[in-house]
Amino acid sequence: MRRAAALASSVVLSAAVLVGCGAQAAPQAGATSLTWAVETQPVTLNPHLWAQNKVRLLVFNQFDALVSRGADGSFQPWLARSWKVSDDGRAYTFELRDDVTFHDGTRFDAAAVKANLDQLLKPGYNPAVAAIQLGSFSRAEVLSPTRLRITLKRPDALFLDFLSSPYAGQVSPASLRAAKDLKFGGTELAGTGPFILDRYVQGQELHYHRNPAYRWAPPGAGHQGPAHLSEITYRFLPEAAVRVGALTSGQVQVIEGVPATEVALVEKDPGLTFLRALNSGTSFSYYFNTSHPPFDDVRVRRAFREAVDLDAVLASVYRGTATRAWSVVARSSPFYDAGLEGRYGGNAAEAGALLDAAGWRQRDAEGYRVKDGRRLTVRSVSSAPFVRDRRDVLAQAVQAQVKQSAGIDLQIRIVDQGAAQQAADDDQYEIFENSRGDSDAGAALNLILRGDGAINRTRYSDPELDGWLAAASATSDPAERRRLYAEVQRKAVEEQALVFPIYVPGDQIAARRSVQGLGFDPVTGTPRGAYDVRVGT
Amino acid sequence: MTGAGLAAAPGRAAVLPAWARFAARRTLAAAAVLWAAATTAYVALLLAPGDTVDILVGDGPDTPGIRAGIVAEWGLDRPQVVQYLSYLWRLLHGDLGRSYQLQRGVADVLAGQVGPTAQLTLAAAGVGVTLACVIATATAGRGRLARGAASAAELASVSVPPFLIGIVLLAVFSFTLGWFPVSGAEGARALVLPALALGLPIAGVLGQVLRGGLERALEQPFAVTARARGLTERALVTRHALRHALLPAVTLAGWFTGTLLGGAVITEALFGRPGLGQVAMRAVTGRDMPVVMAVVLLSAVVYVTVSTLLDLAYRVIDPRTRG
Repeated sequence: MRRAAALASSVVLSAAVLVGCGAQAAPQAGATSLTWAVETQPVTLNPHLWAQNKVRLLVFNQFDALVSRGADGSFQPWLARSWKVSDDGRAYTFELRDDVTFHDGTRFDAAAVKANLDQLLKPGYNPAVAAIQLGSFSRAEVLSPTRLRITLKRPDALFLDFLSSPYAGQVSPASLRAAKDLKFGGTELAGTGPFILDRYVQGQELHYHRNPAYRWAPPGAGHQGPAHLSEITYRFLPEAAVRVGALTSGQVQVIEGVPATEVALVEKDPGLTFLRALNSGTSFSYYFNTSHPPFDDVRVRRAFREAVDLDAVLASVYRGTATRAWSVVARSSPFYDAGLEGRYGGNAAEAGALLDAAGWRQRDAEGYRVKDGRRLTVRSVSSAPFVRDRRDVLAQAVQAQVKQSAGIDLQIRIVDQGAAQQAADDDQYEIFENSRGDSDAGAALNLILRGDGAINRTRYSDPELDGWLAAASATSDPAERRRLYAEVQRKAVEEQALVFPIYVPGDQIAARRSVQGLGFDPVTGTPRGAYDVRVGT
Repeated sequence: MTGAGLAAAPGRAAVLPAWARFAARRTLAAAAVLWAAATTAYVALLLAPGDTVDILVGDGPDTPGIRAGIVAEWGLDRPQVVQYLSYLWRLLHGDLGRSYQLQRGVADVLAGQVGPTAQLTLAAAGVGVTLACVIATATAGRGRLARGAASAAELASVSVPPFLIGIVLLAVFSFTLGWFPVSGAEGARALVLPALALGLPIAGVLGQVLRGGLERALEQPFAVTARARGLTERALVTRHALRHALLPAVTLAGWFTGTLLGGAVITEALFGRPGLGQVAMRAVTGRDMPVVMAVVLLSAVVYVTVSTLLDLAYRVIDPRTRG
């Protein structure tokens, strides 16, 4: 046995010795380099095809948009110095910066902006953006190298939001033409951003170096001129416990995505800082399918919400780190209607009374309610790739509560994307769970609540609701939009109980204390890029 | 990979006719297995719920215009048979298609990932086989204490989920002791923990089988004869008994090829390593069928290659199978 142990350890040791050389060459270039562990791998690095909120922080390292957002959500200059909107709200004239160059050395000008817009409209390139974000787009005209006029078919309150989104990240037209793998992007596409992508190893990491020529940071940034860091590596570590371990052992200096179970550990560590922010867009919510029983009856929809003691559920699943949602619109949005807080939920007696009134009086042997010989069963069908943040555990907690306090049989099905889509198409579900991270909550509401919305899974259609949504999309007066979206929320959440808002998704960053300048995008609540980040005091 | 494994055998055909017949049989069988794998993968895609357009649309906006664009782009309006035949045709020409999710050629997606996975699985197989041989030869026929301890360790390494083994290895050797990095670029040093995590369960099973085989061999009459000739116990074990014990262990190698490929999915995700496992995992959850099918095919190629090599190994180890 002793010999066996000695042999075994010598095997391990010799392996270690063999590989020892070549290791420990960690780049310590004056401590201006940084390794940041992220949870999510990008499916594409082409900003035009951006599809993951978690990847936003990478996009704006490499690319700049035309317009930026201030801390108060206002639209501010970026690659566009200024702009004027015509009185009818259909023509935007942009004055562009004249001192900007792409990473490939070509100049940024009005023709480049037009080339980017033209690219987005090419058939088969990004049909979703062409249909939704550019649905109101009519044409772009180059008036001079620094002046561009964009004409819309109709006023569109979300157009500037589009121009500040990753989709509007400006890509060098030369690299758009030359890229072999355009839809993936990567190192082939040249942006104007503060960092230049020079290495992508799928499944492992992304590496950027500083753009020394960068002099066009948005006014809301923490500094001007080139970025503080000379290099930054983003390492993909999908497992949360591994990210936290890598941070506490100093192998990485920053991580994003700290799960509730690890927050206490991170906060206790004096060598670490912990930051969190709520995301924009919609709350994580259960949407009730109103097209067939039992949720075609508003009393049953109400009863489901009353049957859940949501505060207790959130406390047990997220250990007090989750923020309860009261509306379909996330709390961080300027359109959030705080008037809905405390207006419903957590009243088991009320749930029972509502179900009795709706005719679900009898109980079967297992304690579930029955009507006309049918059990009160509702199915939640969700697509596995979208189940994150312990939402499966959350669903189980809700399942236990609705059974216990109201006799509702909630069946949870987590399936692959195709099967989930099939269930949606065949109307074989009663609950749809979803959250969206759109920077403007209105964009999400158009998809979810409008009668013909692309992901309207409540199957509820109401001309009045559609009218408010259309009016809110057409005006850019913030007060008027707030009023209209308040009407929308009151109807969808309170009057019709179409939705059961659960919690407001958020993002977390944990870092070594020496890392400064980390933060969140004020509009989306997702981690900011690395432009303002520095190491040291 | 097939090229290397299958083409080598016919080369010897002229010299050894018996081998040539064997090689030809194996090549044919291999081709049939690969065709079956490709077709099964294709049929599975057809039978899976949800149609391809739905998958490509995903959770995004969905209008008739968008759907028509997708159908045209991927040629989904052709008859099923035509699509199947064109799939096989493209396969024969080495064209694996385009990934729905990653917007790139599948061959491109996989190219960079084969290397890291081969590295990981070979290292893990090395760890597994070495540990198993060392422990089995050291403990076979020894005192009850040594055998009990080894057997308990083997049982533990087989029963504990690889995910947990990985986390524990990381917690001890990376996060606490700082001997090895979690992941990535630091070359071979970063390979040690993942290879151990993936290799330990194999060492467990293989070790038990090997020791059992060794002990049976040591009770055979030839062992008594060898001892009577004055052979030391160590020489007896390593030179004679091991060869007898090896046959069932080699049969297991087919099994552990599967374990390694499956385990790579978990190990790669845990350690943030690039590799086929991670790609396959993402492709399956995202229903990225061209990638899934390519991975299935690649696994079939590996299996066929390994089992061909094993058949050859039998002939080397056991003269009785040379016929």
